[in-house]
Amino acid sequence: MEILLQQTVNAIALGGTYALLALGLAVVFSIMGLINFAHGELMTIAGYVLMYCGLAGVPFAIAAALAVGAAMLAAVLMEIIAFRPVRNASGATMLVTSFAVSMVLQVLFQNLIAARSQPVLLPQLLSDSVSIFGLVIGINKIAAIIATIVMLAFLDWFMRKQKHGIAMRAAASDFAVARLMGIRANTVISAAFALSGLLAGVAAVLWVSQRASVDPLMGFSPVLKAFIAAILGGLGSLRGAVAGGFVLGFIEIYLAAFLPASMQEFREPIGLAIVVFVMLFRPNGLIPAASLKAEKV
Amino acid sequence: MKKALLFSSLIALSALSQPVLAEELKIGLATAQTGGLAPYDAPVIEGVHIAVDEINAAGGIDGKFKIELIDKDVRSDAAQTSIATQELVDQKVSVLVLPCDADPALAAISIVASAEIPAISTCASSPTLPLVGGDYMFANFPGDNVQATVSAEWAFKEGFKSAYIIYSPDAQYTTLPLYFKEVFDKLGGKILGEDTYSIGQQDFSAIATRIAALDPQPEVIMTAAFEPDFPSLLKALRAAGVKSQMIGSDGIDSPTTFSLGDVVEGTVFTTAGFATPGSPMEAFNAKYKEVTGKASETVFNAVGYDLIKVIEAAVKKAGSTDPKAVRDAIADLEDVQGATSKITYKGTNGMPVRQVSLVRVKGGDRELIGQPSPTADLVPAPRMQ
Repeated sequence: MEILLQQTVNAIALGGTYALLALGLAVVFSIMGLINFAHGELMTIAGYVLMYCGLAGVPFAIAAALAVGAAMLAAVLMEIIAFRPVRNASGATMLVTSFAVSMVLQVLFQNLIAARSQPVLLPQLLSDSVSIFGLVIGINKIAAIIATIVMLAFLDWFMRKQKHGIAMRAAASDFAVARLMGIRANTVISAAFALSGLLAGVAAVLWVSQRASVDPLMGFSPVLKAFIAAILGGLGSLRGAVAGGFVLGFIEIYLAAFLPASMQEFREPIGLAIVVFVMLFRPNGLIPAASLKAEKV
Repeated sequence: MKKALLFSSLIALSALSQPVLAEELKIGLATAQTGGLAPYDAPVIEGVHIAVDEINAAGGIDGKFKIELIDKDVRSDAAQTSIATQELVDQKVSVLVLPCDADPALAAISIVASAEIPAISTCASSPTLPLVGGDYMFANFPGDNVQATVSAEWAFKEGFKSAYIIYSPDAQYTTLPLYFKEVFDKLGGKILGEDTYSIGQQDFSAIATRIAALDPQPEVIMTAAFEPDFPSLLKALRAAGVKSQMIGSDGIDSPTTFSLGDVVEGTVFTTAGFATPGSPMEAFNAKYKEVTGKASETVFNAVGYDLIKVIEAAVKKAGSTDPKAVRDAIADLEDVQGATSKITYKGTNGMPVRQVSLVRVKGGDRELIGQPSPTADLVPAPRMQ
């Protein structure tokens, strides 16, 4: 029982990080119909900011804020430089553009910073753990859970109450009509990218605080997980992305925890098979976006 | 007459000013300067360049053969390794240098074998590499089975009687703990369990929780995980309250490991060398600092120097740059003094006999435990994955 609880805490922490990542993809997709595969590179940028701040002796709290800010700035610049010129092109063009942005950034990191992974100095506190009701929980797990809750609450408020949030929801439901109502396309899309940069930055701080190093290619694996989570939840649906992230986290942790030892090698294929199985019954995802008109064939 | 004198003196002059045309030894480097293996291949190639510059400045190998390096980046990709290798073969290199991990190195093996050019992996440590690779494939690192024997014997001698292993079936190298298990078991230790992970796995909390729930706790946890997996695994274990002695292997001999702070304190790992006072490795590190202006952060710099020392010794012995002659010479080398250790290929299948250093992480730096020779009977046979 205690192990089950402990593993559930692990699953919530991992699922929360996946949820933040998937949300970052979903925010942009819901408005532009673009899956931004360069989302992972926003994390890498945040990671490098953490690394340089560590070397410069900047306190971690300030370094984390700078890292998140850098990811937001990079996301907005990414939209202006790379995605704005192809905004009205087909979905495939935008998808390929996002891959190109991702590769260009990776090569820049390799050539301008280092091909090798670089250590990130982290406060000792993040490696400690506390005992709560007999459960041993790492500080970085608690940080991940709190960060997820804060971000989800903020996003909920932003989308329901804040002017830009409402504009984004309007744009997501019907961009053409939203523009007729006087909503500026550039502002809404910039805001969406800034929001996805914010989510990527927070996820990056959590991600890097676990692995303690950054390398030019580190963004690939999280963006892949986020993509799976976003598809599972329902592409373009923000609630779906959160649900997909948590479900993926739970699937991964529970399989790693409770699959018999002889089956552990097949953990990942089994996990993905479960995702496929869910998709068979809910082809539009767990909580589909209203605007997504895909149908079961 | 005057004309003839001028002519003959011209000939004499040109003969004097132009030394005997030096032959060139072309070495093709098909290594990973980017991607997952770059943390290992990049420092090795730094060491390679230092050794080559040193030899060329002294007039070439044996004063005869200047070394020319042809560099290619294989991006840690198996397919790219075989493409780069084919290009280098077409450029008629005499020796090939392949990436650190056995798997991409093996991708080039059919090209290496049919071209009959000796190939040396920068730092692959899987003993299966020369077995699969055949006569033309050589390694440049203490074998996984030898490293595991050294660490298992140390652990048992220290009084640790139970162990838990965490390995990944994704690569040859990350299965090193299975050798550890075999030796530890043979010595009379008890293996309490084992876990697998995937290379690049971000979250190790499920494994950490499972180990934390064991009663009794394993005294030793052995893994060959390297970054970014190793820091995540270690932090997850310590955060879950697991206090067992950690044992790793050469993959964690990197700056990240030493910057982890308290969690990594006391971790023990095997590696290819240690700069004891007065050792060739200390001299190499001084030279590295002189050339690059920064301190060497990993043993893989010195391993690159070793690699060229082996090629130098072989070419000297063969007296030519003919690939076949060089291959036969490498296979017959004995006690070549490299930066990390004396290196012997004679009597092996291509996996060199080299010293293993056992190192402990202390105060963010390396502390040498010893450089023990493993008991020969205990070294497990290479296991095909």
